Amino acid sequence: MQPDTLFQRITDYANRADPYPLYAELRENGVTRQDDGSYLVGTYHEIAALLHDPRISSDYRSRTHPDEAMIRRNERPPSFIGLDDPEHDRLRRIAMRPFGPPHSPGRIDELHGDITRIAEELIDAFRGADRIDIVDEFAYPLPVTVICRLLGVPHEDVPRIRAWTNAIIDSFDFTPGADQEKRQQAGLDARDAMARYLGELAGGRRGHPSEDMLSALVNDAGPEGRLTDVELMATATLLLIAGHETTVNLITNGVLTLLRHPDAHKRLRDEPGLMPRAVEELLRYEPPVHMLPQRTPLADIEVAGVTVPKGAPLILMLASGNRDPLRFDDPDRFDPEREDNQHFGFGSGIHNCFGAPLARLETQIALGALLPYLDDFHLLDDPPPYRRSPLLRGPRHLLIARG
Amino acid sequence: MQIVVDLNRCQGYAQCAFLAPQVFELHGEEALMFTPAVPDDQRERVHRAAAACPVQAIVVGERAGPGVR
Ligand code: HEM
Ligand code: SF4
Repeated sequence: MQPDTLFQRITDYANRADPYPLYAELRENGVTRQDDGSYLVGTYHEIAALLHDPRISSDYRSRTHPDEAMIRRNERPPSFIGLDDPEHDRLRRIAMRPFGPPHSPGRIDELHGDITRIAEELIDAFRGADRIDIVDEFAYPLPVTVICRLLGVPHEDVPRIRAWTNAIIDSFDFTPGADQEKRQQAGLDARDAMARYLGELAGGRRGHPSEDMLSALVNDAGPEGRLTDVELMATATLLLIAGHETTVNLITNGVLTLLRHPDAHKRLRDEPGLMPRAVEELLRYEPPVHMLPQRTPLADIEVAGVTVPKGAPLILMLASGNRDPLRFDDPDRFDPEREDNQHFGFGSGIHNCFGAPLARLETQIALGALLPYLDDFHLLDDPPPYRRSPLLRGPRHLLIARG
Repeated sequence: MQIVVDLNRCQGYAQCAFLAPQVFELHGEEALMFTPAVPDDQRERVHRAAAACPVQAIVVGERAGPGVR
Protein backbone atom coordinates (compact mmCIF):
# COMPACT_ATOMS: atom_id res chain seq x y z
CA MET A 1 0.00 0.00 0.00
CA GLN A 2 1.24 3.47 -0.88
CA PRO A 3 1.33 5.67 2.21
CA ASP A 4 0.11 9.11 1.22
CA THR A 5 -1.32 11.42 3.88
CA LEU A 6 1.10 12.88 6.37
CA PHE A 7 -0.47 10.89 9.19
CA GLN A 8 -0.09 7.66 7.25
CA ARG A 9 3.56 8.47 6.67
CA ILE A 10 4.07 9.27 10.35
CA THR A 11 2.50 5.99 11.41
CA ASP A 12 4.28 3.99 8.68
CA TYR A 13 6.68 1.63 10.44
CA ALA A 14 9.43 2.55 7.96
CA ASN A 15 9.58 6.01 9.58
CA ARG A 16 9.60 4.86 13.18
CA ALA A 17 13.33 5.31 13.70
CA ASP A 18 13.22 8.96 12.64
CA PRO A 19 9.82 10.62 12.45
CA TYR A 20 11.25 14.07 13.19
CA PRO A 21 11.55 15.32 9.57
CA LEU A 22 7.87 14.49 9.12
CA TYR A 23 7.04 16.50 12.23
CA ALA A 24 8.90 19.47 10.73
CA GLU A 25 6.73 19.08 7.63
CA LEU A 26 3.64 18.95 9.83
CA ARG A 27 4.57 22.18 11.64
CA GLU A 28 5.26 23.79 8.28
CA ASN A 29 1.83 22.79 6.94
CA GLY A 30 -0.06 24.09 9.98
CA VAL A 31 -3.16 22.33 11.26
CA THR A 32 -3.99 19.74 8.62
CA ARG A 33 -7.09 17.74 7.91
CA GLN A 34 -6.36 14.16 6.88
CA ASP A 35 -8.40 12.13 4.40
CA ASP A 36 -10.11 10.27 7.22
CA GLY A 37 -11.42 13.54 8.70
CA SER A 38 -8.96 13.77 11.57
CA TYR A 39 -6.95 16.90 12.34
CA LEU A 40 -3.28 16.91 13.23
CA VAL A 41 -1.69 19.61 15.38
CA GLY A 42 2.10 19.74 15.65
CA THR A 43 3.01 23.24 16.86
CA TYR A 44 3.85 23.90 20.51
CA HIS A 45 1.64 26.87 21.33
CA GLU A 46 -1.43 25.38 19.67
CA ILE A 47 -0.96 22.04 21.47
CA ALA A 48 -0.49 23.83 24.80
CA ALA A 49 -3.68 25.85 24.31
CA LEU A 50 -5.69 22.75 23.35
CA LEU A 51 -4.43 20.77 26.35
CA HIS A 52 -5.76 23.51 28.60
CA ASP A 53 -9.04 24.04 26.75
CA PRO A 54 -12.13 22.68 28.57
CA ARG A 55 -13.87 22.26 25.20
CA ILE A 56 -11.48 19.43 24.33
CA SER A 57 -12.64 15.99 25.44
CA SER A 58 -10.53 12.89 26.17
CA ASP A 59 -13.59 10.65 25.96
CA TYR A 60 -14.01 8.60 22.79
CA ARG A 61 -17.75 8.91 23.11
CA SER A 62 -17.44 12.58 22.15
CA ARG A 63 -16.60 11.55 18.57
CA THR A 64 -19.21 11.90 15.86
CA HIS A 65 -17.98 8.72 14.20
CA PRO A 66 -16.19 6.52 16.70
CA ASP A 67 -14.49 3.68 14.85
CA GLU A 68 -15.28 0.02 15.42
CA ALA A 69 -12.40 -0.54 17.79
CA MET A 70 -13.43 2.42 19.92
CA ILE A 71 -16.98 1.20 20.13
CA ARG A 72 -15.85 -2.19 21.32
CA ARG A 73 -13.37 -0.60 23.70
CA ASN A 74 -16.20 1.46 25.10
CA GLU A 75 -18.15 -1.59 26.10
CA ARG A 76 -15.47 -1.68 28.79
CA PRO A 77 -15.63 0.95 31.49
CA PRO A 78 -13.10 3.68 30.59
CA SER A 79 -10.32 4.54 33.01
CA PHE A 80 -9.80 8.18 33.98
CA ILE A 81 -7.31 8.85 31.18
CA GLY A 82 -10.29 8.51 28.84
CA LEU A 83 -12.84 10.49 30.86
CA ASP A 84 -13.59 14.20 31.24
CA ASP A 85 -14.13 16.21 34.42
CA PRO A 86 -15.87 15.94 36.80
CA GLU A 87 -15.64 12.11 36.53
CA HIS A 88 -11.96 12.23 35.64
CA ASP A 89 -11.19 14.49 38.57
CA ARG A 90 -13.03 12.31 41.10
CA LEU A 91 -11.29 9.12 39.99
CA ARG A 92 -7.86 10.76 39.74
CA ARG A 93 -8.20 12.11 43.28
CA ILE A 94 -9.14 8.72 44.66
CA ALA A 95 -6.15 7.15 42.90
CA MET A 96 -3.84 9.96 44.09
CA ARG A 97 -4.74 9.50 47.76
CA PRO A 98 -2.40 6.51 48.30
CA PHE A 99 0.20 7.81 45.81
CA GLY A 100 1.14 11.40 46.59
CA PRO A 101 0.57 14.63 48.48
CA PRO A 102 -1.32 15.82 50.36
CA HIS A 103 -2.45 12.44 51.76
CA SER A 104 0.64 10.29 51.01
CA PRO A 105 3.51 12.75 50.56
CA GLY A 106 6.26 10.22 51.32
CA ARG A 107 5.20 7.37 49.02
CA ILE A 108 7.52 8.11 46.08
CA ASP A 109 10.39 9.34 48.23
CA GLU A 110 10.34 6.07 50.16
CA LEU A 111 10.99 4.12 46.97
CA HIS A 112 14.41 5.72 46.53
CA GLY A 113 16.35 2.90 48.20
CA ASP A 114 14.35 0.17 46.50
CA ILE A 115 14.85 1.66 43.04
CA THR A 116 18.59 2.05 43.62
CA ARG A 117 18.87 -1.53 44.83
CA ILE A 118 16.92 -2.90 41.87
CA ALA A 119 19.10 -0.95 39.43
CA GLU A 120 22.27 -2.24 41.06
CA GLU A 121 21.10 -5.83 41.11
CA LEU A 122 20.29 -5.67 37.41
CA ILE A 123 23.69 -4.17 36.62
CA ASP A 124 25.46 -6.82 38.73
CA ALA A 125 23.75 -9.52 36.69
CA PHE A 126 25.41 -8.36 33.44
CA ARG A 127 28.59 -6.86 34.82
CA GLY A 128 30.95 -9.27 33.05
CA ALA A 129 29.01 -9.52 29.80
CA ASP A 130 30.38 -8.21 26.50
CA ARG A 131 26.96 -7.80 24.94
CA ILE A 132 23.81 -6.53 26.63
CA ASP A 133 20.25 -5.93 25.57
CA ILE A 134 19.42 -2.78 27.49
CA VAL A 135 15.67 -3.32 27.06
CA ASP A 136 15.43 -6.91 28.29
CA GLU A 137 18.14 -6.78 30.91
CA PHE A 138 17.63 -3.34 32.40
CA ALA A 139 15.05 -0.88 31.09
CA TYR A 140 12.12 -3.32 31.24
CA PRO A 141 12.72 -5.18 34.52
CA LEU A 142 13.37 -2.03 36.56
CA PRO A 143 10.07 -0.13 36.20
CA VAL A 144 7.94 -3.27 36.09
CA THR A 145 9.46 -4.41 39.38
CA VAL A 146 8.86 -0.99 40.92
CA ILE A 147 5.23 -0.62 39.83
CA CYS A 148 4.40 -4.18 40.92
CA ARG A 149 5.87 -3.51 44.34
CA LEU A 150 3.99 -0.22 44.61
CA LEU A 151 0.65 -1.70 43.61
CA GLY A 152 1.22 -4.97 45.47
CA VAL A 153 1.35 -7.29 42.44
CA PRO A 154 3.38 -10.48 43.07
CA HIS A 155 6.66 -10.48 41.16
CA GLU A 156 6.15 -14.01 39.84
CA ASP A 157 3.23 -12.74 37.75
CA VAL A 158 5.44 -10.38 35.71
CA PRO A 159 5.58 -12.71 32.65
CA ARG A 160 1.77 -12.67 32.39
CA ILE A 161 1.72 -8.92 32.80
CA ARG A 162 4.31 -8.54 30.06
CA ALA A 163 2.29 -10.66 27.63
CA TRP A 164 -0.93 -8.73 28.36
CA THR A 165 0.80 -5.36 28.10
CA ASN A 166 2.40 -6.24 24.76
CA ALA A 167 -0.95 -7.25 23.33
CA ILE A 168 -2.54 -4.01 24.55
CA ILE A 169 0.26 -1.79 23.20
CA ASP A 170 0.33 -3.56 19.83
CA SER A 171 -3.37 -2.88 19.47
CA PHE A 172 -2.63 0.89 19.47
CA ASP A 173 -1.02 0.50 16.07
CA PHE A 174 -2.93 2.38 13.40
CA THR A 175 -1.23 0.78 10.41
CA PRO A 176 -4.03 -0.88 8.51
CA GLY A 177 -3.36 -4.43 7.49
CA ALA A 178 -4.75 -7.91 7.42
CA ASP A 179 -4.10 -8.49 11.10
CA GLN A 180 -5.41 -5.19 12.43
CA GLU A 181 -8.74 -6.65 13.49
CA LYS A 182 -7.00 -9.56 15.20
CA ARG A 183 -4.56 -7.28 17.02
CA GLN A 184 -7.39 -5.16 18.32
CA GLN A 185 -9.32 -8.15 19.60
CA ALA A 186 -6.17 -9.51 21.25
CA GLY A 187 -5.68 -6.11 22.91
CA LEU A 188 -9.21 -6.08 24.30
CA ASP A 189 -8.92 -9.66 25.56
CA ALA A 190 -5.65 -8.84 27.29
CA ARG A 191 -7.18 -5.76 28.90
CA ASP A 192 -10.10 -7.81 30.23
CA ALA A 193 -7.78 -10.49 31.56
CA MET A 194 -5.57 -7.95 33.31
CA ALA A 195 -8.57 -6.15 34.80
CA ARG A 196 -10.01 -9.39 36.16
CA TYR A 197 -6.64 -10.40 37.57
CA LEU A 198 -6.16 -7.05 39.36
CA GLY A 199 -9.76 -7.01 40.57
CA GLU A 200 -9.27 -10.39 42.21
CA LEU A 201 -5.96 -9.41 43.72
CA ALA A 202 -7.44 -6.25 45.23
CA GLY A 203 -10.58 -8.06 46.35
CA GLY A 204 -8.43 -10.47 48.35
CA ARG A 205 -7.00 -7.57 50.36
CA ARG A 206 -10.37 -6.15 51.37
CA GLY A 207 -10.39 -6.28 55.13
CA HIS A 208 -6.76 -7.49 55.20
CA PRO A 209 -4.82 -4.28 54.70
CA SER A 210 -1.20 -4.38 53.54
CA GLU A 211 1.23 -1.58 52.66
CA ASP A 212 0.53 -1.43 48.92
CA MET A 213 -1.67 0.81 46.78
CA LEU A 214 -4.22 -1.86 45.81
CA SER A 215 -4.85 -2.48 49.47
CA ALA A 216 -5.20 1.24 50.18
CA LEU A 217 -7.65 1.60 47.30
CA VAL A 218 -10.00 -1.05 48.69
CA ASN A 219 -9.55 -0.33 52.40
CA ASP A 220 -9.01 3.37 52.87
CA ALA A 221 -11.66 5.83 51.72
CA GLY A 222 -11.09 9.59 51.51
CA PRO A 223 -13.59 12.43 51.06
CA GLU A 224 -14.41 11.24 47.52
CA GLY A 225 -15.38 7.80 48.75
CA ARG A 226 -14.24 4.49 47.30
CA LEU A 227 -14.00 3.10 43.79
CA THR A 228 -16.70 0.68 42.66
CA ASP A 229 -15.40 -2.76 41.64
CA VAL A 230 -15.59 -1.81 37.99
CA GLU A 231 -13.78 1.49 38.55
CA LEU A 232 -11.15 -0.27 40.62
CA MET A 233 -10.37 -2.72 37.82
CA ALA A 234 -10.10 0.03 35.23
CA THR A 235 -7.96 2.24 37.48
CA ALA A 236 -5.59 -0.53 38.54
CA THR A 237 -5.16 -1.61 34.91
CA LEU A 238 -4.34 1.96 33.91
CA LEU A 239 -1.82 2.35 36.74
CA LEU A 240 -0.12 -0.94 36.00
CA ILE A 241 0.26 -0.32 32.25
CA ALA A 242 0.96 3.42 32.31
CA GLY A 243 3.16 2.79 35.34
CA HIS A 244 5.87 0.92 33.48
CA GLU A 245 5.40 0.79 29.74
CA THR A 246 6.53 4.33 28.99
CA THR A 247 9.31 4.35 31.58
CA VAL A 248 10.93 1.42 29.75
CA ASN A 249 11.13 3.59 26.65
CA LEU A 250 12.47 6.61 28.51
CA ILE A 251 15.31 4.65 30.08
CA THR A 252 16.10 2.96 26.75
CA ASN A 253 15.95 6.26 24.85
CA GLY A 254 18.28 7.67 27.47
CA VAL A 255 20.93 5.03 26.86
CA LEU A 256 20.50 5.37 23.09
CA THR A 257 20.76 9.16 23.20
CA LEU A 258 23.81 9.21 25.47
CA LEU A 259 25.65 6.66 23.35
CA ARG A 260 24.88 8.82 20.32
CA HIS A 261 26.13 11.96 22.09
CA PRO A 262 29.51 11.17 23.66
CA ASP A 263 30.00 14.79 24.82
CA ALA A 264 26.79 14.79 26.79
CA HIS A 265 27.63 11.33 28.13
CA LYS A 266 30.99 12.52 29.38
CA ARG A 267 29.51 15.71 30.83
CA LEU A 268 26.98 13.72 32.86
CA ARG A 269 29.54 11.20 33.96
CA ASP A 270 31.71 13.98 35.34
CA GLU A 271 28.81 15.88 36.85
CA PRO A 272 26.08 13.48 38.02
CA GLY A 273 24.14 16.42 39.52
CA LEU A 274 23.04 17.30 35.98
CA MET A 275 21.02 14.10 35.66
CA PRO A 276 17.62 15.53 36.67
CA ARG A 277 17.86 18.17 33.96
CA ALA A 278 19.19 15.68 31.42
CA VAL A 279 16.10 13.54 32.02
CA GLU A 280 13.87 16.56 31.36
CA GLU A 281 15.74 17.11 28.11
CA LEU A 282 15.23 13.46 27.18
CA LEU A 283 11.52 13.89 27.77
CA ARG A 284 11.61 16.72 25.26
CA TYR A 285 14.06 15.30 22.74
CA GLU A 286 13.03 11.60 22.65
CA PRO A 287 9.71 11.37 24.49
CA PRO A 288 8.12 7.94 24.99
CA VAL A 289 4.65 9.27 24.14
CA HIS A 290 4.70 10.77 20.65
CA MET A 291 1.06 11.68 20.27
CA LEU A 292 -2.28 11.92 22.00
CA PRO A 293 -4.71 10.44 19.49
CA GLN A 294 -7.90 10.53 21.48
CA ARG A 295 -8.91 14.17 21.85
CA THR A 296 -12.18 15.50 20.41
CA PRO A 297 -13.61 19.04 20.36
CA LEU A 298 -17.00 19.39 22.06
CA ALA A 299 -17.76 22.43 19.88
CA ASP A 300 -16.38 23.82 16.62
CA ILE A 301 -13.04 25.37 17.57
CA GLU A 302 -10.53 27.43 15.72
CA VAL A 303 -6.90 26.33 15.82
CA ALA A 304 -4.31 28.45 14.01
CA GLY A 305 -6.92 29.73 11.57
CA VAL A 306 -8.48 26.34 10.84
CA THR A 307 -11.90 25.34 12.12
CA VAL A 308 -11.88 21.89 13.67
CA PRO A 309 -15.47 20.69 13.76
CA LYS A 310 -17.17 19.37 16.86
CA GLY A 311 -16.78 15.60 17.13
CA ALA A 312 -13.78 15.31 14.77
CA PRO A 313 -10.71 13.30 15.82
CA LEU A 314 -8.03 15.69 17.03
CA ILE A 315 -4.51 14.30 17.23
CA LEU A 316 -1.96 16.23 19.26
CA MET A 317 1.60 15.48 18.18
CA LEU A 318 3.47 16.04 21.45
CA ALA A 319 6.85 14.96 20.07
CA SER A 320 6.49 17.53 17.30
CA GLY A 321 5.61 20.33 19.73
CA ASN A 322 8.76 19.40 21.64
CA ARG A 323 10.84 20.20 18.55
CA ASP A 324 9.05 23.43 17.61
CA PRO A 325 11.65 26.13 16.85
CA LEU A 326 9.09 28.80 17.77
CA ARG A 327 9.26 27.49 21.34
CA PHE A 328 12.70 25.93 21.86
CA ASP A 329 16.06 27.29 20.74
CA ASP A 330 17.90 24.89 18.52
CA PRO A 331 15.23 22.23 19.11
CA ASP A 332 16.97 19.37 17.30
CA ARG A 333 19.97 19.64 19.60
CA PHE A 334 20.15 17.38 22.67
CA ASP A 335 21.27 19.73 25.42
CA PRO A 336 21.22 18.19 28.91
CA GLU A 337 21.72 21.67 30.38
CA ARG A 338 18.76 23.31 28.64
CA GLU A 339 17.28 25.89 30.99
CA ASP A 340 13.82 26.72 29.71
CA ASN A 341 12.30 23.31 29.12
CA GLN A 342 8.56 23.11 29.59
CA HIS A 343 8.21 20.04 27.38
CA PHE A 344 5.20 17.86 26.62
CA GLY A 345 6.89 14.62 27.70
CA PHE A 346 4.20 14.15 30.35
CA GLY A 347 1.46 16.00 28.50
CA SER A 348 -0.03 19.09 30.13
CA GLY A 349 -3.31 20.26 31.64
CA ILE A 350 -5.72 18.17 33.69
CA HIS A 351 -4.53 14.81 32.31
CA ASN A 352 -0.84 15.55 32.78
CA CYS A 353 0.96 12.43 33.82
CA PHE A 354 -0.15 11.10 37.17
CA GLY A 355 3.07 9.14 37.67
CA ALA A 356 5.57 11.77 36.49
CA PRO A 357 7.45 12.05 39.81
CA LEU A 358 7.94 8.29 39.93
CA ALA A 359 9.01 8.10 36.29
CA ARG A 360 11.50 10.92 36.85
CA LEU A 361 13.01 9.31 39.91
CA GLU A 362 13.27 5.88 38.28
CA THR A 363 14.92 7.22 35.15
CA GLN A 364 17.34 9.47 37.04
CA ILE A 365 18.42 6.62 39.29
CA ALA A 366 18.55 4.05 36.47
CA LEU A 367 20.66 6.18 34.13
CA GLY A 368 22.81 7.43 36.99
CA ALA A 369 23.66 3.87 38.02
CA LEU A 370 24.27 2.69 34.48
CA LEU A 371 26.31 5.64 33.22
CA PRO A 372 29.72 4.84 34.72
CA TYR A 373 29.38 1.36 33.34
CA LEU A 374 28.60 2.44 29.75
CA ASP A 375 32.01 3.96 29.01
CA ASP A 376 33.36 0.89 27.27
CA PHE A 377 30.23 0.20 25.25
CA HIS A 378 28.91 1.15 21.83
CA LEU A 379 25.64 0.61 19.97
CA LEU A 380 25.49 -2.57 17.92
CA ASP A 381 22.52 -1.44 15.81
CA ASP A 382 21.92 2.20 15.13
CA PRO A 383 19.05 2.78 14.64
CA PRO A 384 17.84 -0.09 16.79
CA PRO A 385 14.73 -2.11 15.89
CA TYR A 386 11.62 -0.26 17.09
CA ARG A 387 8.36 -1.53 18.51
CA ARG A 388 5.36 -1.22 16.22
CA SER A 389 3.49 1.55 17.99
CA PRO A 390 3.92 5.09 16.59
CA LEU A 391 2.22 6.40 19.73
CA LEU A 392 4.24 4.77 22.48
CA ARG A 393 7.47 4.79 20.53
CA GLY A 394 10.61 3.03 21.68
CA PRO A 395 13.20 0.41 20.75
CA ARG A 396 12.17 -3.24 20.98
CA HIS A 397 15.77 -4.14 21.77
CA LEU A 398 18.87 -2.06 22.30
CA LEU A 399 22.00 -4.12 21.86
CA ILE A 400 25.24 -2.67 23.09
CA ALA A 401 28.68 -4.28 22.99
CA ARG A 402 32.01 -3.76 24.68
CA GLY A 403 34.85 -2.33 22.68
CA MET B 1 21.64 25.84 50.46
CA GLN B 2 18.65 28.17 50.15
CA ILE B 3 15.61 28.19 47.95
CA VAL B 4 12.97 30.62 46.85
CA VAL B 5 9.79 29.66 45.05
CA ASP B 6 8.36 32.26 42.74
CA LEU B 7 4.78 31.84 43.86
CA ASN B 8 3.52 33.94 40.97
CA ARG B 9 4.87 31.35 38.59
CA CYS B 10 4.05 28.30 40.69
CA GLN B 11 1.02 26.55 39.26
CA GLY B 12 0.60 24.07 42.08
CA TYR B 13 1.65 21.07 39.96
CA ALA B 14 3.11 19.56 43.15
CA GLN B 15 6.01 17.87 41.36
CA CYS B 16 8.30 19.33 44.03
CA ALA B 17 6.17 17.97 46.88
CA PHE B 18 6.58 14.40 45.59
CA LEU B 19 10.32 14.63 45.11
CA ALA B 20 11.35 16.50 48.26
CA PRO B 21 8.43 16.03 50.67
CA GLN B 22 10.38 17.29 53.66
CA VAL B 23 11.05 20.62 51.99
CA PHE B 24 7.91 21.26 49.93
CA GLU B 25 4.48 20.65 51.33
CA LEU B 26 1.06 21.12 49.86
CA HIS B 27 -1.50 22.60 52.17
CA GLY B 28 -4.99 21.80 51.03
CA GLU B 29 -5.44 22.03 47.32
CA GLU B 30 -2.95 24.49 45.95
CA ALA B 31 -1.10 26.33 48.70
CA LEU B 32 2.59 25.45 48.65
CA MET B 33 4.72 25.73 51.77
CA PHE B 34 8.48 25.31 51.67
CA THR B 35 11.52 25.45 53.91
CA PRO B 36 13.78 28.24 52.58
CA ALA B 37 16.93 26.97 54.33
CA VAL B 38 17.49 23.48 52.96
CA PRO B 39 19.04 20.92 55.33
CA ASP B 40 22.15 19.30 53.84
CA ASP B 41 20.61 15.85 53.58
CA GLN B 42 17.88 17.27 51.34
CA ARG B 43 20.10 18.94 48.73
CA GLU B 44 19.91 16.23 46.13
CA ARG B 45 16.16 15.97 46.52
CA VAL B 46 15.78 19.71 46.10
CA HIS B 47 17.78 19.60 42.88
CA ARG B 48 15.47 16.88 41.59
CA ALA B 49 12.46 18.96 42.59
CA ALA B 50 13.79 22.12 40.93
CA ALA B 51 14.44 20.28 37.67
CA ALA B 52 10.97 18.75 37.74
CA CYS B 53 9.08 22.00 38.28
CA PRO B 54 7.36 22.48 34.92
CA VAL B 55 7.45 26.27 35.18
CA GLN B 56 10.92 26.57 36.73
CA ALA B 57 9.54 28.38 39.74
CA ILE B 58 12.14 27.04 42.18
CA VAL B 59 15.31 29.08 42.48
CA VAL B 60 18.21 27.29 44.14
CA GLY B 61 21.35 28.99 45.37
CA GLU B 62 23.88 28.93 48.12
CA ARG B 63 22.20 32.13 49.26
CA ALA B 64 18.98 32.76 47.43
CA GLY B 65 16.81 35.82 47.53
CA PRO B 66 14.65 37.86 45.24
CA GLY B 67 16.51 38.50 42.00
CA VAL B 68 19.00 35.65 42.47
CA ARG B 69 19.21 33.30 39.49
C1 HEM C 1 8.58 8.16 31.39
C2 HEM C 1 7.46 7.66 31.79
C3 HEM C 1 6.11 8.24 31.48
C4 HEM C 1 5.70 9.03 30.44
C5 HEM C 1 6.53 9.57 29.29
C6 HEM C 1 4.29 9.30 30.65
C7 HEM C 1 3.53 10.11 29.82
C8 HEM C 1 2.23 10.44 30.04
C9 HEM C 1 1.46 11.36 29.23
C10 HEM C 1 1.96 12.11 28.00
C11 HEM C 1 0.21 11.43 29.76
C12 HEM C 1 -0.95 12.31 29.26
C13 HEM C 1 -2.04 11.52 28.59
C14 HEM C 1 -3.15 12.40 28.08
O1 HEM C 1 -3.10 13.62 28.23
O2 HEM C 1 -4.11 11.84 27.50
C15 HEM C 1 0.18 10.54 30.90
C16 HEM C 1 -0.92 10.31 31.69
C17 HEM C 1 -0.93 9.38 32.71
N1 HEM C 1 0.14 8.70 33.23
FE1 HEM C 1 2.03 8.76 32.57
N2 HEM C 1 3.87 8.66 31.78
C18 HEM C 1 4.96 8.01 32.33
C19 HEM C 1 4.98 7.27 33.49
C20 HEM C 1 3.90 7.02 34.28
C21 HEM C 1 3.91 6.28 35.52
C22 HEM C 1 5.16 5.73 36.21
C23 HEM C 1 2.61 6.20 35.95
C24 HEM C 1 2.00 5.56 37.18
C25 HEM C 1 2.57 5.38 38.30
C26 HEM C 1 1.79 6.91 34.98
C27 HEM C 1 0.42 7.05 35.05
C28 HEM C 1 -0.32 7.88 34.24
C29 HEM C 1 -1.75 8.05 34.38
C30 HEM C 1 -2.64 7.36 35.39
C31 HEM C 1 -2.14 8.99 33.41
C32 HEM C 1 -3.55 9.54 33.18
C33 HEM C 1 -3.68 10.85 33.88
C34 HEM C 1 -5.03 11.49 33.70
O3 HEM C 1 -5.77 11.15 32.77
O4 HEM C 1 -5.36 12.36 34.52
N3 HEM C 1 2.60 7.40 34.00
N4 HEM C 1 1.43 9.96 31.07
S1 SF4 D 1 6.68 21.98 41.13
FE1 SF4 D 1 6.83 24.14 40.68
S2 SF4 D 1 4.79 24.74 40.04
FE2 SF4 D 1 4.64 22.81 41.09
S3 SF4 D 1 4.11 23.26 43.20
FE3 SF4 D 1 6.33 23.01 43.05
S4 SF4 D 1 7.08 25.06 42.67
FE4 SF4 D 1 4.91 25.13 42.23
